[in-house]
Amino acid sequence: MTEDLIIGMAGSGGDGIVSAGDSMMTALAIEGYYAMLTKSFGPQIRGGESSFRLRVATRPVLNPGGTLDVAVALNWDDFMKFGAELPIGGRTVVIYDTNTGVAPDALPLRGVRPAEVVPVGIEKMARDTVGTEKAKNTVVLGLVAGWFGLAQDSILAGIKKRFIKKGPEVAEKNEQAFNAGVRYAHEHPLRTVSHMAPPPEGPRSKLVTDGNEMCGAAAIFSGCQFFGGYPITPSSEIMQFLNREIWKYGGSMLQAEDEIAGVGACVGASFAGQKALTATSGPGMSLKTEMLGLASIAELPLVCVNVQRGGPSTGIPTKSEQSDLFQACFSAHGDVVRPVLAPLHVEDVFGLTVEAFNIAEHYQTPVILLSDQELSQRKEAVARIDTTRFAVVNRRTPAEHELEDYVRFRITESGISPISHPGMKGGNYLASGIEHTERGAPTANGEIHARMNEKRVRKFAPLKDRRDLFLLEGHPDAPIGLVSWGTLAGVALEAMRLAEAEGLRVKVLVPKLLYPVAEHVYQDFFGSVTRGLVIEQSHQGQLYRLVRMFVDVPRGVESFCRSGSNPIAPQDVLERVRTQMRAIQNGYAPVQQVG
Amino acid sequence: MTTIEVYQAKDYKSELKPIWCPGCGDFGVVQAIYRALASIGRSPHDIAFVSGIGCSSRIPGYTTAYGFNSVHGRALPIAQGIKMANPELLVLVAGGDGDGFSIGGGHVAHAIRRNLDLTYIVMDNQIYGLTKGQLSPTSPKGLKTASSTYGSMEDPVNPLLYVLGYGCRFVAQGTPADMMGLAKVIEEGIRFPGFAFINVLSPCVTYGQADQQLKTQKARMEPLEALGHDSTDRLKAMALAQDYGTKLHTGVFYRDPNPDPSYEVFMKERQGELDERALPRERILDLFVPEM
Repeated sequence: MTEDLIIGMAGSGGDGIVSAGDSMMTALAIEGYYAMLTKSFGPQIRGGESSFRLRVATRPVLNPGGTLDVAVALNWDDFMKFGAELPIGGRTVVIYDTNTGVAPDALPLRGVRPAEVVPVGIEKMARDTVGTEKAKNTVVLGLVAGWFGLAQDSILAGIKKRFIKKGPEVAEKNEQAFNAGVRYAHEHPLRTVSHMAPPPEGPRSKLVTDGNEMCGAAAIFSGCQFFGGYPITPSSEIMQFLNREIWKYGGSMLQAEDEIAGVGACVGASFAGQKALTATSGPGMSLKTEMLGLASIAELPLVCVNVQRGGPSTGIPTKSEQSDLFQACFSAHGDVVRPVLAPLHVEDVFGLTVEAFNIAEHYQTPVILLSDQELSQRKEAVARIDTTRFAVVNRRTPAEHELEDYVRFRITESGISPISHPGMKGGNYLASGIEHTERGAPTANGEIHARMNEKRVRKFAPLKDRRDLFLLEGHPDAPIGLVSWGTLAGVALEAMRLAEAEGLRVKVLVPKLLYPVAEHVYQDFFGSVTRGLVIEQSHQGQLYRLVRMFVDVPRGVESFCRSGSNPIAPQDVLERVRTQMRAIQNGYAPVQQVG
Repeated sequence: MTTIEVYQAKDYKSELKPIWCPGCGDFGVVQAIYRALASIGRSPHDIAFVSGIGCSSRIPGYTTAYGFNSVHGRALPIAQGIKMANPELLVLVAGGDGDGFSIGGGHVAHAIRRNLDLTYIVMDNQIYGLTKGQLSPTSPKGLKTASSTYGSMEDPVNPLLYVLGYGCRFVAQGTPADMMGLAKVIEEGIRFPGFAFINVLSPCVTYGQADQQLKTQKARMEPLEALGHDSTDRLKAMALAQDYGTKLHTGVFYRDPNPDPSYEVFMKERQGELDERALPRERILDLFVPEM
């Protein structure tokens, strides 16, 4: 029985690639499997080649994985355009349409011998049953369901439901196409891959969504009543989700004239007492930074999501990268601390978005939530989330006796001062970007400025003790330590499991709180570590450098980073870990990376 | 039970001492605002007064309202966020000509077409005063300033035509040389149910032009009322607005006689229509339970 299966499929626009991926994902989730679906497209706005990669498993899927177990090519030209996303290797079963005219021993795979090559008359089956090649994707669904014992009933139910809108005859014919695929699979069993094991938790449906919609839902859960933003890839779906939902909760949203106005309206809504969210990507973050400085000095809560993409500037807006970490931590003007959080996967987006609102409201600060293109766009089938486990924090408003002589920016022991809002009698004050006294009066007095800076930085001290914002896995005394963040953390965690299976002792630290840097957490982690990797999707290795700025990182811990659009697979990490373990066993002295 | 409180102009004056130069036009503007607010009679805590950056943008601090002296050019987006979050508030916006028509110029058009019920007062002194005398977007062509040593080579922005061109439903102009008249148009702007724009020629005594001071303004002033102007006629308003820079018309240029409902009216309707469809917040994730 297979417990983990990676299927990749590519074809031309019109082949129904995307809808086949979605159907399979939905059916698997209904039957209780965990899954992750990533889609890739050519650069065209419409049409052109498209592909998906679907990983299905009996336990939570941590990352899209590396080499495919099953590759489905409707067209080899299109398939090869996704060489990086859909790698074929020695254990891959390659299924392709015989109408491509390519002989099984002449596949365009440079030096790779797949485990099994299966030419199938996919187009012919589509024509024979439905009368059009458009049903190729339905045939493929049948083949996959038949060969891997995957969600046959749910896929068929989905096909019927989708095509019944086009009339009973069309639905009937597509059912025949699906059944033809299933029958073919049963009559021609594969040599190398077995059926998928049933989901261990039984057939309870999973949740299916992507990082952007999950973020929007978490905002609603947190009591967010205002969204202000501007369309930008790959974050726009957060705005679109909230545009559908937020009005239902007495809230409102504004698609503003630009990024600055979007976050500006959030600053206004927050001043007026509402929880506010904005979302953008790298270039939009640059435009918003002045306004975030205002929110910092005026001590106004606000959550700002940056769905990172390849940069700088327009860069590669449709590909993922983790290269805005420096920007998130350090783009502020003035002596400012701005908490930066990053979720690992779609399920984690929920809890961490709630956390972002809680920190923003409690500390009266802008909080940056760093997502990325992959997380935002990939769909995951995840376990049901018990939302009652998540506390929602609201800003501390002044009590009646505090309103008798209200001091908005009172220097308290915690550094947090109760915050009023317009409409609250006695709470009247002047919010400003100008340095101010405790009462909010503008001032240029250096002593007051120093005291206020101290207050505004000191209030974040408790954050560094939030060990719950770090994920720690593996053997506590392991000599090899992997550090990773965001979507790459799933790669590190899986690499750790692979290493453990080989008897290598490895541990993993995943900071979900990136800034302020919690030095002690890293120091404790590095205590047993002589070798290790900081794994991330950026050219410079931004987390590696950030951590070194605050923490004594052992000399043997190296940066393992690649620019966006160059995936790092768990196997790649495992290779490096093996090398490091050999170095430890041979007693080689580590050489710290320079530059 | 709510008690009806009666407010006087002094109830809107804060304890902060203005940083403005003696004789600055903005003293008259803030006085006019106190008076207008007293006529309206809303409690100071139900008023949000937002500004950008500049000499004139200090103005919210000199009132007892909830003030927000924000960043350069961005008062309008912030004010719109406040009004959307709490439509019950009276929201005033103020700033200088640089704030409104240079660095923040892009926001004006959108605030107008969005049409939230805000009153936007621009203190237009045709110079950058806080940064010590540089060219502003409304400085006349040829003006020699700290940043235009040999004279400006650019046409000035005409704020009145600018906002009329974008469809502003209430457009007026005033001067602190006629404080009572100014208080009146501010009050009318506040009472107007939608976005209202008031240009105030508020001279800079330190870097401003000698022929633009209060005394000259008083002599040059031509109240539109006296000209028999029909303020329901947008095209006539635009024709008179052409005189910006040569004549000083005061009063209401244009007031939409049949204004559309303002944005927050639509907003409330939408919220009211949709609220029955809301899942309880703690069940929001039910949206993601897949269905075939």
